Amino acid sequence: MRPDLQAFDDEIRGHMALVVKERVERGEDPETARLAALREFGNVLLTHESMQAVWRPRWLEAVGALWQDVRVALRSLRHAKGLAVTVAAMLALGIGANAAVFSVVRQVLFLPLVNRDADRLVYIRQSAPGIGAENITFSVPEIGDFRSRSTTVSAFGDFSTIDFPLVGFGEPRVVQAGVVSGSYFEVMGLRPVLGRLLDARDDGPDAAGALVLTHRFWSKALDRDPTVVGKTVRLGARDVTVIGVLEPSLPYPADTEIIANVVTSPHHLGATMVTERTHRMTELFGRMAPGATLEEVRGELGALHAALAREHPAAYSPGAQFQLSVTPLRDQITAPARPVLLLLLAAAAVVFAIACSNVANLILARSVRREQELVVRAALGAGRGALRRTLLAESLVLCGAGALLGVLLARPLVSVVGRFAARFSVRALDVTVDPSLLWVGAGLAMAAAVVLAYVPRLPLPHAPTRSGPATGGLRITPGTGGRLRVFAVTQVALSFVLLVGAGVLLTALVALQTTNTGYNLRQVLALDVPLPMEDSGPKAVDFYQQAMQRIERLPGVERVAVGNFVPWRDANGLLRGTTRFAASGYTPATGEEDPRARLRIVTPGFFAAVGVPLTAGRDFTDDDRSGSDLVVVVSQSVAQRLFPNGAALGRHMWWTDAYFGEPRPRRIVGVAADVDDANVVPGPSLTVYHPLRQMPYGGRLFVHTSGDPYALVQPVTRIIRSISADQPVERAATLADVRAQVLAPERLNAFVLSAFAGVALLIAVVGVAGVLAFSVSARTREFGVRLACGSTPRQLLTHVLAEGALIAAIGIVAGAAGGYALGRVAASSVESLRLPGASPVLGAAAVLMGAAVVASLMPAARAARVDVVQALRSE
Amino acid sequence: MAKPPDDRRLDLLQGTLDMLILRTLQWGPRHGHGIGQTIRAQSDDLLRVETGSLYPALHRLEKRGWLRAEWGVSEANQRAKYYRLTAAGKAQLLRERDRWSLLVGAIGRVMNPAPAGKE
Repeated sequence: MRPDLQAFDDEIRGHMALVVKERVERGEDPETARLAALREFGNVLLTHESMQAVWRPRWLEAVGALWQDVRVALRSLRHAKGLAVTVAAMLALGIGANAAVFSVVRQVLFLPLVNRDADRLVYIRQSAPGIGAENITFSVPEIGDFRSRSTTVSAFGDFSTIDFPLVGFGEPRVVQAGVVSGSYFEVMGLRPVLGRLLDARDDGPDAAGALVLTHRFWSKALDRDPTVVGKTVRLGARDVTVIGVLEPSLPYPADTEIIANVVTSPHHLGATMVTERTHRMTELFGRMAPGATLEEVRGELGALHAALAREHPAAYSPGAQFQLSVTPLRDQITAPARPVLLLLLAAAAVVFAIACSNVANLILARSVRREQELVVRAALGAGRGALRRTLLAESLVLCGAGALLGVLLARPLVSVVGRFAARFSVRALDVTVDPSLLWVGAGLAMAAAVVLAYVPRLPLPHAPTRSGPATGGLRITPGTGGRLRVFAVTQVALSFVLLVGAGVLLTALVALQTTNTGYNLRQVLALDVPLPMEDSGPKAVDFYQQAMQRIERLPGVERVAVGNFVPWRDANGLLRGTTRFAASGYTPATGEEDPRARLRIVTPGFFAAVGVPLTAGRDFTDDDRSGSDLVVVVSQSVAQRLFPNGAALGRHMWWTDAYFGEPRPRRIVGVAADVDDANVVPGPSLTVYHPLRQMPYGGRLFVHTSGDPYALVQPVTRIIRSISADQPVERAATLADVRAQVLAPERLNAFVLSAFAGVALLIAVVGVAGVLAFSVSARTREFGVRLACGSTPRQLLTHVLAEGALIAAIGIVAGAAGGYALGRVAASSVESLRLPGASPVLGAAAVLMGAAVVASLMPAARAARVDVVQALRSE
Repeated sequence: MAKPPDDRRLDLLQGTLDMLILRTLQWGPRHGHGIGQTIRAQSDDLLRVETGSLYPALHRLEKRGWLRAEWGVSEANQRAKYYRLTAAGKAQLLRERDRWSLLVGAIGRVMNPAPAGKE
């Protein structure tokens, strides 16, 4: 047991008293005796201290010694500033990237949701793979059946997304709104920060219009206005009161800005919505009943769904293969981001590994230069432990500096990575720098420090090393050169994997960006000019007619048209699906589904305005109006699939979906070239176009101009506002830019991975150059001998270049083999993963090989310039 | 500083202090000063243990469990710490004594080799 401080004092005091007593007994006077005793004792403090030291735990001693070593390391690194800076910078890159990515991954994938008892929440998804619908959502009657029959789900919350023109908060604009029933917030377990949330009081067609602001919208658009509750705004054609602000929470399923009750949406009150089983546009959440397990919920809802399909065969055609799945809400939210984030994490880890192996290289080279110092220390009695500790102290200093820089670097990176990940999961919108970042940074630095301290070989304690303290030359202990090469090969291999990955994404991106879409991309400006549902009809036709006429007169405008769908941008909107139809003279084979087509609405001149040629028949005219003969234009694919003999013109088609009520045959008057407005990579697309005058829902304006399209945004907006002052005019973009926006996630993916690959390549180049430079400087004598024996400098140059190329080649082969194995393993768990084609692989190999040769040039030139006499004399 | 005139004192061989302490305590519990005095007396004043080495050594032995300490009152009427040999300490003393005699014998043979030709 450790004595306390008083005990040490007492012991020394007791000793003194005895000595004094003896001296006094021998006849000295007390004062002299006391002084003599003190003198005889020596250094009291020191004795005190060494007595205490005995009782200190060993690790404390070790820390003290390490601290000593750290101070030595700091001093010795001051003489190797270049190395210290390089190492710290490399580690900072590695640690910073990892800490940032990890921080985002943690918050997106692993943190719990704010919802009360979030693990009891499930997302219920209906899909119909037979018609390519991954998430076909639910209709009101379906939800009613689930509500009344399920026992394992205590409450259901329903949510449908709708765009509303909103007037009252600044500029008139279109907001993404969720329309929910009163049970929604209770089911989701969310609370208000201001006012109240929607509840049962707000249900039904007679309730007052009420809306809740999301925290994000409240903060960003309204600057957290505390007086907002009670304000009345216009949502569509209705006055709606703000009743509260939601706590910060995940906007799911869509990035909604406001959430309103059902009464705000006329569509939700319509008979079709309420009674039509196939009118599916509502997402469904459930809160599991107390005691119910996920498996039970899956079983019960699955059986329920099967029963519904039996009871209403018309609504669940066998060909569509309706299915139901139940997922915990958190998984549902994070699922799309998971592969991307894991890919990112892997890339960051690879960069860290490359950075570490390069740092190991540098440290190894340095330790070879330091070998004499280590030998001297060993000779003076430093044990292997002490030597290792010296090395550890130095790598700790380096890695600590790297970690510090890395964490600083990680802070801005978090927001970049977060914005990137937000494209895949709304959760990443609010990612912040969190303390886990520091831990990750510190952990990685510690790991790197320990690994690095064990990289150099220690001088053997007994066998005298070849470079004893006496000789001055630089020699490489056997194995060091080999290790250096192993590290360089590792770097090349890892960078190769990253480069191939980046190459794959880049090739895919280039392919996406260069495919021919069939549209005139550069000269067509698309704008959202939505009218509220209530204003559709003759009023809408007049409004658009007036706008088009006045816009047409603007200088530079060649054609103007109205449609209901901006290519690609509206592909996830209300009109994302396809609709069943039939045609005279076409009978589906037995058991085959009715054909399905996209429904589009356009004005005369639309095809010419967006650059899509008509291959047969005519365009719409202003005479195709309500009351006159109903007509349509179909896409090439429709014509070919239904009437392979080219007899489409003059036939009739009609929509068979119950939403359209009594089938009304429409005559096919034209055939347009195929364009795929839902997918950036065009596929065959069945599309049926209607004239706006016969189906008066527009909302999208297309302006074809000969000049700069964006110069028209201002005048066009002015014209529309002069017709209707509160009319939103939004999201003006050329079709080329629309496509670019849609491709942004792909571009970001490619960009981020390319950045990682670029860093890796840079590090690998430094690594190869470093190894060769080291090898050349260590072999000066050998080169001298070779020159003396008749080698030409040119031969030496090629020799070193060949060495660099060999390192690169081995690395590439190792990387290809490792990457292939990794790909096979990953492919078994990630379905969409495919092994890359030949061109990215060959490209990456060429880039690496070229970089390696360039990196070898400098050391090679030095080898060729070796001065024979000096080289031979250098020993 | 001038050397004391009667400097016949010997420096303690490294590693032998522990053994000497253990041996001294075989005659019974003693305080630190007593141990130092005993070693000095037994060695005819040739070995003098510095207090700066003695006390840390005592604590080291106590920590390893070879000594046990208890507080008593010394001849000077002052609180003093008395050390006593434990069973483990006795065993350690035996081990050290064996090693010591081995060492002394070996050094002796090296310093005074037996006459050559002895079979």
